Amino acid sequence: MSPMPVDVLNYVLLSAVMFFIGVGGVILRRNPLIVLMAIELMFNAANLALIAFSRVYENNAGHIFAFLVITVAAAEAAIGLAIVVVVFRRAKHVDVDDVAGLHG
Amino acid sequence: MIFALWLLPFAGALAIWAFGPQLKRLAGALGAATVLTSFAIALALAGQTFTGRGVKAPLVSWAQGFSFGLLLDPLSLLWVFVITGVGGLIHVYSIGYMSGDRAFARFFAYMNFFVFAMLTLVLSDNFVGLLVGWGLVGLASYFLIGFWFFKPSAVAAARKAFVINVVGDIGLMFGIFVLFAATHTTTYAGVFAKAGSLAPLTVTLACFGLFVACAAKSAQLPLHTWLPDAMEGPTPVSALIHAATMVTAGVYLIARCAPLWDVSPEARALVGTIGALTALTGAVLGCVQWDIKRILAYSTMSQIGYMIMGVGVGAYQAGILHFYTHAFFKATLFLGAGILIHALHDEQDVRKMGGLARRQPFAFWAMTVGTLAIIGFPGLSGFFSKDAVIYGTLEHGYPLLYAIGMVTAGITAYYMCRMLFVTFFGSYRGDVPSAQLGVAASTNPPVAHEAPSGHEGAHAPAWLMQVPVALLMIPSVIAGYVWFGSRDGPLAYGGPGSLWFGYFTTNFATRAEAVQAAVPEWLSTVLVLALVGIGAFVAYRRYAASAASANAVERLRAESLTAWRPLTRALYFDDAIELVFVRPASAIGAAFARVVDPQVLDGAVRDVAWLAGWLGREMRALQTGLVRGYALVVVLGVAGFLVYFAWFGTVR
Repeated sequence: MSPMPVDVLNYVLLSAVMFFIGVGGVILRRNPLIVLMAIELMFNAANLALIAFSRVYENNAGHIFAFLVITVAAAEAAIGLAIVVVVFRRAKHVDVDDVAGLHG
Repeated sequence: MIFALWLLPFAGALAIWAFGPQLKRLAGALGAATVLTSFAIALALAGQTFTGRGVKAPLVSWAQGFSFGLLLDPLSLLWVFVITGVGGLIHVYSIGYMSGDRAFARFFAYMNFFVFAMLTLVLSDNFVGLLVGWGLVGLASYFLIGFWFFKPSAVAAARKAFVINVVGDIGLMFGIFVLFAATHTTTYAGVFAKAGSLAPLTVTLACFGLFVACAAKSAQLPLHTWLPDAMEGPTPVSALIHAATMVTAGVYLIARCAPLWDVSPEARALVGTIGALTALTGAVLGCVQWDIKRILAYSTMSQIGYMIMGVGVGAYQAGILHFYTHAFFKATLFLGAGILIHALHDEQDVRKMGGLARRQPFAFWAMTVGTLAIIGFPGLSGFFSKDAVIYGTLEHGYPLLYAIGMVTAGITAYYMCRMLFVTFFGSYRGDVPSAQLGVAASTNPPVAHEAPSGHEGAHAPAWLMQVPVALLMIPSVIAGYVWFGSRDGPLAYGGPGSLWFGYFTTNFATRAEAVQAAVPEWLSTVLVLALVGIGAFVAYRRYAASAASANAVERLRAESLTAWRPLTRALYFDDAIELVFVRPASAIGAAFARVVDPQVLDGAVRDVAWLAGWLGREMRALQTGLVRGYALVVVLGVAGFLVYFAWFGTVR
């Protein structure tokens, strides 16, 4: 007996909740490490939605996309952390609002 | 063959242009050789031309109704003879005249280019080729008038000639457009085949456009003002371009388009009237000139007026005959004047000449023959052609033009003899101070006088200049006898129907005969001769009889200072053009420079620049540098998209 199927809506809602938690983190938090984690959260929200729909439509494209997203997320995290390290070395503190050198 | 005839002068021009510095003195010989070779080819083709309907050589066709080819028919052959024959002699003369000029090679490159352009004009078998040649001769004329470009007056004259000629080019284009719209072809054969079936108004419009072109190129009123100024060019240029060939392009055009003029009486009347008025105006203005080349320029204008009047009223043979004889005697006159100018170190004012008959006997005889020919002395070439034109107006029903032509013949005799007597009779006045003679100071910087035919180099032998003039004197005397020779015998008077000249005018042979004039031709001739005699006699009394007297200088001074002002101002044509066209154009230009340019054109550019700056200033506030702010904007944007799609349906 297979486990009771869970309605896809639940997955999508969970994905949406995760995504907006991530959005809130990016917009509200000032610690770049937390911001990066929030971005990671958004990635994975998207992954969850992709996997869920992949199951619903019995189409493996969603899986493949999810793997792609994981790869990109890893690259993004590497670059993002490298930037944070460089900024920290120059400014001796880490606050995204202080890194405003592109102010017009 | 016909291509060689056409392109040889062009090849010569290119060669001289490219290798002028290397060719040195040979440039002149090369230039003369190419033109004379073309003349020889034309002679070789003459038989072929007379037997058939001409030598045709299609070249290219690039669209329906547009093709370019060469056509050597009797009419163009006559022009080719004059262009290459007289042109070749003038080239030879120029080797002597221009020796010592720093730009010797450049001169011959331009001259050869002119011959090529003129051949294009007369050999084209269609209106487009004609227009190309028409423009190119204008360009060559511009080059050669402004040849001594260090003289401000020469530059101004070249510009003036070019601008006025462009007015004519526009007229020609207008005429061609009208013809093309009506007939959908631009070849002569195609257009003329349909000439009879076109609406009269269309033909008149086309003829008007073509005549504007003729008036500009052939110095007819009111577009004649460039011709006297064109005398700023070297004298051989004046002889070739501004007397013998280019300025007669208008006569060629009208003769070529005779089938159009036949259809439009209005156009005939217009052309005849303008021609007659030009003949009269040129003659009257010639009476008050002192510059020997300007006298000849006004006489050219006057004689072309005769030609235009002749071909305009329908006396095509007479007008063409006058072109033919005029080319010889006017070239003789100009080249004779050139010998004087050369010998007197670029003095052109006849008041500073005098008594040159003994010092320059060759020039004296050349100028005498030319003068006798142009005034129509019995037996010389001008006698036959001018008489034919004048009587032709009567035969074709224009008695008023006939009267003008007669009066003009008398005035012509007066001013030509005046030039001859003042120049060659009496005693030499070159040493008399200018002020005593009433000669106004030259407006050119003095340096200009040294360079033109500068005498730093070795002098070319005199025969180089004398032989061409001598060769031109012969046809100046005898060219008119082509009017003789009919079925009644080789020396019987044939008039327009003469056998010899008839070859050249076979295009017009089928035309209806002229009406019987009220005055018999012999009486008309006697009347013209009487007027010519009066004119010559008045000139003799005023200038020759008193030239030897002690007070010749005072008389010239008095005449210079008291000449009727409208005449010395050339009847205010220049002033009228200045007032009607130049001033308003300048005013419009100034207004544009003051208002439109800074306000509208520059203003628009400045406004755009200011807008970019303003946008930048306003938008920089958005660029906070705060990453979280950017993220918020992204999120809001996504939210906006979501709301949009939720409201307005699905993603496509």
